[in-house]
Amino acid sequence: MRRVTPDTIAVVDLAVCDRCGLCLPLCPPEAIHLELNVLTVDRAGCTGCEKCVGPCPVGALAMVAYA
Amino acid sequence: MPDVDVLVVGAGPAGAVAAWHAKQAAPGLDVVVLERDRAIGAPVRCAEGVGDAGLREFANPDGADWVSRRITDVIFQAPDDTEVVLANCGLGWILDRTRFDAFLAAQAAAEGATVLVGAEATAMARNGDQRWHVRVKERGRDDVYRARVVIGADGVETMVGRWAGLDTRVPARDMESCAQYVLQGIDFNPDAIYLQFSNAIAPGGYAWIFPKGVGVANVGLGVVALKSDGRNARQYLDDWVTRRFPGGTRTGYTVGGVIVHTTIKKTYADGVLVAGDAAHMINPLSGGGITNAMKAGRLAGKTAAAAICAGDTSERRLAAYHHAWMELLGDDHLKYYRIKQALEGVDDASFNKLARSVNNIAPGKRTIGRVFTHALIRHPQLIPVAARFFV
Repeated sequence: MRRVTPDTIAVVDLAVCDRCGLCLPLCPPEAIHLELNVLTVDRAGCTGCEKCVGPCPVGALAMVAYA
Repeated sequence: MPDVDVLVVGAGPAGAVAAWHAKQAAPGLDVVVLERDRAIGAPVRCAEGVGDAGLREFANPDGADWVSRRITDVIFQAPDDTEVVLANCGLGWILDRTRFDAFLAAQAAAEGATVLVGAEATAMARNGDQRWHVRVKERGRDDVYRARVVIGADGVETMVGRWAGLDTRVPARDMESCAQYVLQGIDFNPDAIYLQFSNAIAPGGYAWIFPKGVGVANVGLGVVALKSDGRNARQYLDDWVTRRFPGGTRTGYTVGGVIVHTTIKKTYADGVLVAGDAAHMINPLSGGGITNAMKAGRLAGKTAAAAICAGDTSERRLAAYHHAWMELLGDDHLKYYRIKQALEGVDDASFNKLARSVNNIAPGKRTIGRVFTHALIRHPQLIPVAARFFV
């Protein structure tokens, strides 16, 4: 099944991110990873649902245009 | 390729106690605990409060160097700052988690478990040999551990559960986004914890002051983002602290998520147990998770040890852990979750009215039960809250 390309996807600002891990279990497609103290959003996995953005306690996540 | 019996991922309260009790139940087993961070207990992502009875099942706080403060009173604050004081309503403690977590890890080590810091599990897979193969990064080196049972005590991220195919995701309405400062030079009763409920200050959660000493406290709050006015947790905290403690010095801060959900549907799989925050074993009403994690860790450690000794680490056997947890606390959490949902419907004006009428009860007679009964008589709109507690 081919994934529908979202208009926007989540990106993390690593200068702001505290590596608390709160966003990981909020991501329905499990596209956020925290490994070796670096948080990454998997561009291919993100569906653009925005569920991670509001709950970030420090506002490190934002939506940007997919392209 | 190290070969171990029990591999515990995460050296917080759940993981350390799991290793401790697995080793105690079966001293012949190889038990290894992995801690991703370079120091156990740091960074602290916790308000550090814990009740006396639960704590004493695992450790004696009297005179312990991992205790910051003994607590005897609870002060509830209404949205308009009206205080309801419950003096001597039970004993509690504010821990020094950096020391406490290290103390628990030392208990595990004293039983013979191996504790590794700076060691991060990054993936795991089940091979045909009835073992989990866990990829571990340690000091830039890659290793694969073979383990009969993996205990996932990896906190809010809960990767072990995810790798084992368990559903550990959290609905947005059940995630508290928290921020906290350590504030110095502030004025409050150092024998009391303060809890303030207000949709303006901390929508969907509450704000707290947990004393670490005279004039120094963990001051924080939790919000549910869906109820927020657009501010994040840190911004809500800045606004509250600026108003409430304008002269306080901020000597530390932390942020993190508290999962105020009910226990995940399945906390086990073939050769896997998940415990503590990773299995959503937090009291959804209070947000407290330390003793829950230790109790779950104890069950997980014992279950894993017995399963390995019996030569059967299948999910059918490990299911006993889930049932034991649900009977011990998991079913209670379902009730607390219903109360939490009911309280979401109470607005700030009702909380203010409730606080004022409860203060008409003489302080000596102010028990939780009386407060509750009083609330129902004076504020019938809360009856559905009480009713839902019992259904």
